[in-house]
Amino acid sequence: MPTAFPLPSDLSPATVTNTASLLRIVALSLISGAAIASRLFAVINFESIIHEFDPWFNYRATRVLASKGFYEFWNWFDPTAWYPLGRVVGGTVYPGLMATSGVIYNFLHALNLPVDIRNICVMLAPGFSALTAWATYMFTKELKDESAGLLAAAFIGIVPGYISRSVAGSYDNEAIAIFLLMFTFFCWIKALKLGSALFGTLAAVFYFYMVAAWGGYVFITNMIPLHGLVLILMGRFSSRLYVAYSSWYAIGTLSSMQVPFVGFQPVSTSEHMAALGVFGLLQIVAFTQLVRSHVSSKQFQDLLFLALVTVGLLGFVGVVGLTYKGVIAPWTGRFYSLWDTGYAKKHIPIIASVSEHQPTAWPSFFMDLQFLIFLFPAGVVLCFHQLRDEHVFVIIYAAMASYFAGVMVRLMLTLTPVVCVASAVAFSSLLDTYLDAAEPAEAADDASETASASGSNSGSKKAKKATASAATPGSALGDIVAAATPAKKGEKVKGIFGLDTRLAIIVNAFGMLAFFVFHCTWATANAYSSPSVVLASTNPDGSQHIIDDFREAYYWLRQNTPETAVVMSWWDYGYQIAGMADRPTLVDNNTWNNTHIATVGKAMSSSEEVAYPILRKHDVDYVLVIFGGLLGYSGDDINKFLWMVRIAQGVWPEEIQEPNYFTPQGEYRVDDKASTAMKNSLMYKMSYYRFAELFGGGQATDRVRQQQVPKIGPTLDYLDEAYTTENWIVRIYEVRKEDLLGRDLKSANAFAKGKKRKRSKPVSRRRAIVN
Amino acid sequence: MLSFYSLPLFFLSLAGLLHAKSSDGDSVLVLVENAHKKDFSLFFDDLKEQGYSLTFRAPKDEKPAVVEYDVPAFSHIIILASESKNFAKDITPQSLVEIVSGGTNLLIGLSPKQTPLSSLAAEFSLVLPPPGTPLISFFPERKDPVSVIPIDASLPSTILPAMSPVWFSGVPFAHGNNPRLVPILHAPAESFAADSQGGADVLVDATEKGGEGLWAGSQLSVASGFQAAGGARVTWLGGVDMLSDKFFKKQVSKAKSGNARFAREVSAWTFQESLVLRIDSTTHHLVNSTTPEEHYTTNDNIVFTAHISRFHPKTATWEPYSGIKDLQLEFTMLDPHIRTALPAVAGSPGTYSVTFRAPDRHGVFKFVVDYKRKGWTHLHSSTTVALVPPRHDGYPRFLSAAWPYYAGAISTSVAFFVFSAAWLAGESREGKKAKGGKAQ
Repeated sequence: MPTAFPLPSDLSPATVTNTASLLRIVALSLISGAAIASRLFAVINFESIIHEFDPWFNYRATRVLASKGFYEFWNWFDPTAWYPLGRVVGGTVYPGLMATSGVIYNFLHALNLPVDIRNICVMLAPGFSALTAWATYMFTKELKDESAGLLAAAFIGIVPGYISRSVAGSYDNEAIAIFLLMFTFFCWIKALKLGSALFGTLAAVFYFYMVAAWGGYVFITNMIPLHGLVLILMGRFSSRLYVAYSSWYAIGTLSSMQVPFVGFQPVSTSEHMAALGVFGLLQIVAFTQLVRSHVSSKQFQDLLFLALVTVGLLGFVGVVGLTYKGVIAPWTGRFYSLWDTGYAKKHIPIIASVSEHQPTAWPSFFMDLQFLIFLFPAGVVLCFHQLRDEHVFVIIYAAMASYFAGVMVRLMLTLTPVVCVASAVAFSSLLDTYLDAAEPAEAADDASETASASGSNSGSKKAKKATASAATPGSALGDIVAAATPAKKGEKVKGIFGLDTRLAIIVNAFGMLAFFVFHCTWATANAYSSPSVVLASTNPDGSQHIIDDFREAYYWLRQNTPETAVVMSWWDYGYQIAGMADRPTLVDNNTWNNTHIATVGKAMSSSEEVAYPILRKHDVDYVLVIFGGLLGYSGDDINKFLWMVRIAQGVWPEEIQEPNYFTPQGEYRVDDKASTAMKNSLMYKMSYYRFAELFGGGQATDRVRQQQVPKIGPTLDYLDEAYTTENWIVRIYEVRKEDLLGRDLKSANAFAKGKKRKRSKPVSRRRAIVN
Repeated sequence: MLSFYSLPLFFLSLAGLLHAKSSDGDSVLVLVENAHKKDFSLFFDDLKEQGYSLTFRAPKDEKPAVVEYDVPAFSHIIILASESKNFAKDITPQSLVEIVSGGTNLLIGLSPKQTPLSSLAAEFSLVLPPPGTPLISFFPERKDPVSVIPIDASLPSTILPAMSPVWFSGVPFAHGNNPRLVPILHAPAESFAADSQGGADVLVDATEKGGEGLWAGSQLSVASGFQAAGGARVTWLGGVDMLSDKFFKKQVSKAKSGNARFAREVSAWTFQESLVLRIDSTTHHLVNSTTPEEHYTTNDNIVFTAHISRFHPKTATWEPYSGIKDLQLEFTMLDPHIRTALPAVAGSPGTYSVTFRAPDRHGVFKFVVDYKRKGWTHLHSSTTVALVPPRHDGYPRFLSAAWPYYAGAISTSVAFFVFSAAWLAGESREGKKAKGGKAQ
C-alpha cells in the first residue's frame, strides 16, 4: 500500500495503543495545566482577590459555611442584607459552589494543609476548568474519537468565552457549573448509548449537583427532554432511551427537589413541565410498544389514534388548567425575556438593567470564540452526516445555545462548550483526512478511509445496530451510509494525493491553532482578568498604575463606622459592601425585591427633602455613590442613573418620571443645561458636590460625559460628605440626624451658616372677624 | 445586637448627684450685666439654697468660657442679660444651639428689644411680635403701668402647680408648629402686644382689619419650655423682671405674688429636677426563658420588659416609677407590625412588661419605646433583633394532613418490593417474552 510519507512498519499494535494512551494522558494533563495557568493572569497582574460583585457574596457565604458548618449555613438568616427585610440565605441560594469549597477546605484541613478559604475560592474556577476540559474530552470522545476529544479539551481549556467566567478569583456559580453541564451531558449520552441505568443515575446525580450549583440547570432540564422528544419524533424510540431517560428524570427530579431554593419548582413551574411531559410521553410510547406486540396491526392503529388524541388533549388541558389555577407557576420574566428581547425593557427594567442580560453584540462572538465560530457550523454539518443519537443531541444543543447566546450576553457561556465540541469534530476530521498517510490511487477499497467518514466505521456499524432495534430505521441515516460508502469501481477515485497538498492544509490548520492560542492569551490577559474591584491604568512611562478606590472606601467604612451602620448604595455594590466593609446594606445584587430596589432608586432620584424621610425610615446612616467624572471611569452611578429612575418610575409613576431627567431637547446632560429634576436629585448632588472646587476656579469637566460642570456646585443640607477616595470614584455621605430643635435640616443649615431667617407671623388660630 | 439607646447626659451627670438636686449637674453660669446682678439676688439665693453653684459673667466678658475643649463647661446657663445687643464671641445664637446639643439647659429671658436672642428664639419656633411691642393689658385695673401685668396662674399645668398670680413685664410670643414646645404660662386673654406709648390705638387699628395680625390673647405665651432632641431643656421667659426681687416682693391683690414660686418651679423644670424620667434598661426574652436571644423565630412569644425610673429632686435619687399609664411598645420593621400597650407590672415598681406573639414575617425588627409627653422627659429606646424563619428542623415532622402522601409513598415502596420479588422469583416464559426488551 503506497503512502504519502514513510510510516514505521515494525510497531506492534499493542505498542501503538499504549503509546497513544500515554500520549493522551500527557496531552490531557498538559491541557489541564494550560487551562489552569491561563486563568492565573488575574492573580499575577493583580493579586489573589475575589472579583466583581456576585463572587463577593459567594465568598462571604463560603466563609460562613467553612466556619460554622453546613447546617448553620443552611439556616443562615442574614440580617445585614436587604436591611431591614433580611435575607434567608440558606433558602435563596444555590449552595453547590459554597458546599464544594467547604468540602475542599475541610478536606485540606483534615490533611493538615491550612489553606486559607479565600485562596480556595480564588483557585476554584481554574481548578474546575481543568475538570471541564476532561469532561469535554469524554463527551467529544463519545461523538467521534479520542483525538477529537483532545482537541475539544484543548479548545475549552483556553477559549475566552469560558475563561471570561472562570478566571482565578471569579468565584461564581458558573465556575463549577460548566463542568457539571458537560459531565451531565456526557453521562446522558453514555446512558443513552448503552441503555444503562447506571449512567442514567450518574447523569441524575450530576444533574442534582448542577441544580445545587447554578440556576442555569434549567438548560439541562430542557435539553435532555428535547433530545428525547426529537428522538421519539425521529422514530428512534428504544428501550435504551426509555431506561436512560426514566432513570435520569425520576432520580434527578427527586434529588433536585432536595435543594431548598428549588423546592417544589420541578413539579410546579412551567420551565420544568417539558421534562415531565416527555417522561409521560415515554411511558405512553413504551406502553404502546408493549400493546403493539400483543394486538393486531389494525386494532393497534385505531387504539393508538384514540389513545394519542385523548392523552394529548387531557395533558394539554391539564397543564393549562393548572397554570390558570396557579398550581403551575407561569413563566418567569427572565424566561420571557429569552424569547422577546424587548420584553424586559418594557416590563421589568430591573432585569434589563443588568448589562449581562443585554443581547450579544456580534464582535463578541469572535472575541470569545475566535476561529471556532466558523468551524462550529462545519462541525454541526458533520454531525448531520453521522446522525447517531448523540449527534442529534449536539445538533439540538448547538441550535438552542446559538439562539440563547444571541439573546443574552451571559448565555455565551452555554454556547461555548458546544462550539468547542463541534469545532473539535470538524477540525479533527480535517486532520484525520490530511494526516492519513494512505494514498487513494490504487485500491478503491482504501478510499473508504478518506473523506469525512474516517474513523466513523465502527461508529456507523454501531449506529446500524442501534437503528435495527428501533421501530423504524432512520431513512436519513441510510442515505448517509450510502453516501459514506465510496463510489464503486469505475468512477473517478477521490482522495488526497502527495505530500504537498497535505502540508498546505496542515500548515494552515496549525497556523489557525497558533493564532487561536495567541488570541486566547491576549484576550485573557487584557480583557477578562480584571478583578473590577481593583482597576488598572497605565502611567505615561508604560508602568502599571493600580486604582484601588473601591477597597479604600470599603475599608474606610469598615474602620470608621459602627458595625450597625446601614449603608445605602445602588444594588450593584451591595455584595461588595457586605463582603469588604461588613456593613448592612439596603439592596444588593440578589435582586429579588423590586420594590425595595425601587425605594433606593426613588431616594437617589428625588430631591433631598423627599429622599430624607425615606433614608430615615430605613435607618440609613451612610450613602455611597460611585463617581467616575474625575477619572473617566464610565461605569459610575450617573451613567446608571437612568435605570434607577426607570425602576423607581415602575413603582411610583406619578412621582418619578424619566423624561424629567432629560433636557427639553431630549439630551442626558449634567452641565448647567441639566434639567431641574436632574440637578435636584440626590444622585446628582452627591456626585458633583464640591466637584468644581477641585479645579480651583477653572472649568470643571466631567471626563466620562465630556461636559462642563457648573462652577457653583450643588449644596447638600441633609447629608454630610464623610469620605471621598483618592480618585473620587467612591464618595460616601453621612445622613444627618433629625435636627435638635425639630427644624427641617435645610433651615437648620441656613441658621448654622448665619443666614437671617425671614420674620414670620403667628399662625392665625381663629378666623378673622368680619365686622 | 442589643443597642440600648438612652439619654447619655444622665450618665454623664451621675457624679454631680450627691450635692445637687438636679439630675444634670449643679454648675450654673449666669450671664447678667454686673449692674443688674443685685436685682435678682432673691432668685440667686434660692438657687444656691437648692445646691447650685453659680458662676457670674457679664455678657461681654470672655471668661469663664462656655465651652472648653469642645465640652460644655456648665450644666445650666441662665441668660438674664436680655437687653444686651452684643455678647462675647462665644455667645452667639449658633453657639448656643451647639451648647444645647451638648446637653446644657438654658433659661433665657427676652426683652421687647431686638437682640441676638430674638433671632435665636425663632429657631425654637417662637414667633416674636415686632420689636418694641411689649405685652400690655388694661385689666385688671391697677396703679402699675399697663405693661406690668399680673397673670393668673390658678390652674395647674404639667409644669406649674396652682399658685398666686405672677407679675410679668416683657414680650409675649406665639408658638410655631413645633411639638417640642411646652407652654408654661399663657398671656392673659385680654392682653396684647403693642407699643406701650401708642396705647389702645393699635387695638382700634387691628379691629378695623378684623383682628388680623394682632398679637393678642391667651394663645400667646409669656413663658415656654422647649425639649431639645438631645434631652436638654430650654425655657424662654418673655421678660427677666419675672425673676427680679422687685416682682418677688410685689403684692398682688393684697397677697404675695407667685413669682418666687414660679421661678422655683420653672428653674426646677429647666434644670432637670422635675418631670425627669429615664429608661434604666430594656430586656427581651422568650416566654419560658430569662436570657435575651440574639434572634427570635417568627411566631415566638416574646416578653419585653422596660425599667423606668424617675428623678426625685428631694433625695436626688432615681426611683423606680410606675406612674406611666399610656406607655406603648412597637415592634417595627419599616412600619410597626405590632403596637401594644406596655403596662406597669403590679408589685414590681418601675417595671413595664408585655408579652406578645412575634409576627409571621422575618426581618430585622426593632423594639421601640417612644414616649413623648409635654413637660416630661422624652423616653426613647430602640433595640434591634432579627426575626428569622424556623430552622430546617424547626418545622413539625409528621403532619396528620399528609397521611395520603405517606400512604402513597409506603404503598408504592411495598408494591415495588412485591413486584421485584415476584419478578425475580417467577420464571414464566410469557414475562420474558413480553418484557425481555426492557430489562436490557
